[in-house]
Amino acid sequence: MLLSPNAMGRPLRTGLYLTTGLIAAFLLLPVVFIILLSFGSSQWLVFPPPGWTFKWYAQFFANPEWMDAALASLKVALLTTFAAVALGLPTAFALVRGRFPGRELLYGLFTMPMIVPLVIIAVAVYALFLKLGYTGTLFAFVVSHVIVALPFTIISIINSLKLFDQSIEDAAVICGASRLQAIFKVTFPAIRPGMIAGGLFAFLVSWDEVVLSVMMASPDLQTLPVKMWTTLRQDLSPVIAVASTLLIGLSLLVMFIAAALRRRAENA
Amino acid sequence: MSAVIKDDTRNQTLVSLRGLNKHYGDFTAVDNLDLEIQDGEFLTFLGSSGSGKSTTLSMLAGFETPSSGEILVDGQSLVSVPPHKRDIGMVFQRYSLFPHLNVRDNIGFPLAIRKLGADETRKRVEAMLKLVRLEPFAHRKPSQMSGGQQQRVAIARALVYEPRILLMDEPLGALDKKLREDLQDELRQLHRRLGITIVYVTHDQEEAMRLSQRIAIFSHGRIVGLGTGYDLYQNPPNAFVASFLGNSNFLRFTASGNGAGHFEGQPVTVRLTPGLANGQEALIMVRPEKALALTVEQAAREPLPAGWNEVTATVAELLFLGESQTCHVVTQGGTALTVKALSAAGMPMQPGDQVRVRWAVADACIYTDWAESDLSKGAGAH
Amino acid sequence: MKVAINALHNAQGAPSGTGAPGAAERRPPISQRWRGSRNLLPALLFLGLFFFAPLVGLLLRGVLEPEPGLGNYAQLFANSAYARVLFNTFSVAGLVTLISVLLGFPLAWAITLVPKGWGRWLLNIVLLSMWTSLLARTYSWLVLLQSSGVINKALMAMGIIDAPLEMVHNLTGVVIGMSYIMIPFIVLPLQATMHAIDPMVLQAGSICGASPWTNFWKVFLPLCRSGLFSGALMVFVMSLGYYVTPALLGGAQNMMLPEFIIQQVQSFLNWGLASAAAALLVVITLVLFYLYLKLQPESPVGNAR
Repeated sequence: MLLSPNAMGRPLRTGLYLTTGLIAAFLLLPVVFIILLSFGSSQWLVFPPPGWTFKWYAQFFANPEWMDAALASLKVALLTTFAAVALGLPTAFALVRGRFPGRELLYGLFTMPMIVPLVIIAVAVYALFLKLGYTGTLFAFVVSHVIVALPFTIISIINSLKLFDQSIEDAAVICGASRLQAIFKVTFPAIRPGMIAGGLFAFLVSWDEVVLSVMMASPDLQTLPVKMWTTLRQDLSPVIAVASTLLIGLSLLVMFIAAALRRRAENA
Repeated sequence: MSAVIKDDTRNQTLVSLRGLNKHYGDFTAVDNLDLEIQDGEFLTFLGSSGSGKSTTLSMLAGFETPSSGEILVDGQSLVSVPPHKRDIGMVFQRYSLFPHLNVRDNIGFPLAIRKLGADETRKRVEAMLKLVRLEPFAHRKPSQMSGGQQQRVAIARALVYEPRILLMDEPLGALDKKLREDLQDELRQLHRRLGITIVYVTHDQEEAMRLSQRIAIFSHGRIVGLGTGYDLYQNPPNAFVASFLGNSNFLRFTASGNGAGHFEGQPVTVRLTPGLANGQEALIMVRPEKALALTVEQAAREPLPAGWNEVTATVAELLFLGESQTCHVVTQGGTALTVKALSAAGMPMQPGDQVRVRWAVADACIYTDWAESDLSKGAGAH
Repeated sequence: MKVAINALHNAQGAPSGTGAPGAAERRPPISQRWRGSRNLLPALLFLGLFFFAPLVGLLLRGVLEPEPGLGNYAQLFANSAYARVLFNTFSVAGLVTLISVLLGFPLAWAITLVPKGWGRWLLNIVLLSMWTSLLARTYSWLVLLQSSGVINKALMAMGIIDAPLEMVHNLTGVVIGMSYIMIPFIVLPLQATMHAIDPMVLQAGSICGASPWTNFWKVFLPLCRSGLFSGALMVFVMSLGYYVTPALLGGAQNMMLPEFIIQQVQSFLNWGLASAAAALLVVITLVLFYLYLKLQPESPVGNAR
């Protein structure tokens, strides 16, 4: 009936498909538009553009400010990924394997940075680093990003750890491995998809983070979104479209990697 | 063809399916089906999955549109009537109760749709709760009830608006054996009391036998046997039905003259069969419990009665099954036969012994036309 | 945000839900009640130091600065300009929730309904829009919606309007941009709920006499309710706390709470008032999130019950 396209009746079905098409187009519009815009030749973002060009890309890559920002973004994102996975791994083990009271509550605490509005985390952490004199440092960037990335790695690793049958690890111990050996040789390989997924999420969160970064930034150290943000407040230069396209491109790449890993894990 | 459809002349045809077809691309799910359903009967569609029984039921309910053909109720075509206007009741395999409504509201749902008055609705729902003996559970949600209770709610929901036809799609399939048998008895009594027409789909032959007045056996989108359980079992209309229902022994023989022939060189007598020509290959079908196995000594003591056949075979295996036992034998020509007897009767033979297998001519069906695949037990099943 | 993670997992064809039941249940002796909890220490220490302590510190400033008392709160509610910010925050969040539900519902429905390949594509579009840079998408809307932008030009070319519409730096811009961002957060939980509905229940409704219209309102919609509620609640909560999109697409006259907090900190150095506003936002968010958790059927860490 309402869940079977053949039985729901032509008018309803046509209406639904039409609506869906429009909404899907609405979802795709800004993404496709910004990519096209980055190749448009108009300085004033006329669309459709009078011609196509790579000159904004050339400008982007020739400008040391943009390049530094991109490099800083990459550095912060990689460090954040590493730190978030390293902190998330033991936490996920404790939450899934542990049999202590209050695990639900602890889970809630660990995922709270996901729920508390970013603005508030940003202001709170900014106040702290202001007092400590850490604003504008790489440390401040990474720490603030890890706060919001950590729930993603914890949840991802918990999800794959819950799917892993602990008796396999016990079997390795029976076979003569120590508990630690068993975890490293049996459990870690088994939950690797979750670790990688968590790492990718952490990377994406950091790579795209605006609010925290704007608060942490200094003229010497700013990430790509910060540079975009400050430029955006002055004018709508097409170079921002280039930066946006690069951000989208990297996000897409990470999504593809996640999908490919997922598929490989399923086929294995 | 000896299957007899017992024509009860008091009964009127309520539903007629005429030349019904359903194709999915190249696949024919229902193949030119004709069927008359009598008013007030309990008819079961029996078949393995993919045989077309559920598709036929879906077309009756209106969830599937026939590729061609007619569905008539009281002479009126139903084909272009949407399901919600058909006034047919249906009980689904997995109950399909509304999870957001309690038992009372589930049963009252069809009445609310029909905008019945509050008093009338309450009265009818109470009556239904009583009928299915669920009064104490009226305020429970479906998820708080056992499978059997949920199915009773589903039955009440299907009956509350007093449809003339009730469709049941393997409604007891998900329940355990004991509960299934209890509900089967309840269902039979319910049918007797309400006089409603029930079309029931199942793949369980015992269930079909227990419940129905008539059984329609489906295979590859066609009805290959139609009649009472008794007739279909004792006189299967074809080799497929014989092998599908219960157990059967098939013996290939060559006809010679009227009512006689040779099975692996031994003379056999068969019932008179129209269309059986001299020299033609045909099948004898004997149910295991209609055949007797005698040791050579027993056979010598008891001469073969008139109207009986006897063939020689060697015992392969004896199985004790509690109330009955079976003896698997192989003839000289390599035909495997099964003989079944009540344990009380005793079978004093050992594997390797020579035996004489006997059966009465009247108990054996003769088929002149069959496909090899009909003879294997799992024909069309999964 | 959690839906986002699960969605990315599920989009690749894994079964939905929070995962399979865990390994065999072990019952430890009471002496080992806290076994395994040591592993929590690094993350607890980190979050305690850099998240909970600053958060508590911030919230305290609301009652301590400039002098101890509830002065900041009194000011927040009494000053009509500030009260207007609160009103804006809630009305924009409400409007965004409404619009994203209206747009997300048919999309989720279609994803559940269409053949699997198409459904996967639609889901990928939703995920793509969710995971591409927020700033990039907002910038894109800024360009699309400006008075010389593509949308105004298209509308004028079609003869629907004569003069360009003002669609940025006002309520329209904020609502369009934010609804756009929130659609995935409605679609993903709603689609999971719809996917779990047994289609036979709808057939049952129809055989009981319900027309497609009645079936929709009396059976389908009530069965979608849990996904709809949790999705809408999540979107409402997230909308309350969004900063980037309102700051870029909105105007000064419809400032929302997050923008107000940043402004008080950065421009006026009025930490007391900012902290009071932050506390308000945190409390509202946590209360709504608690409701959201109450709507979730399953325990996140599983096998505890």
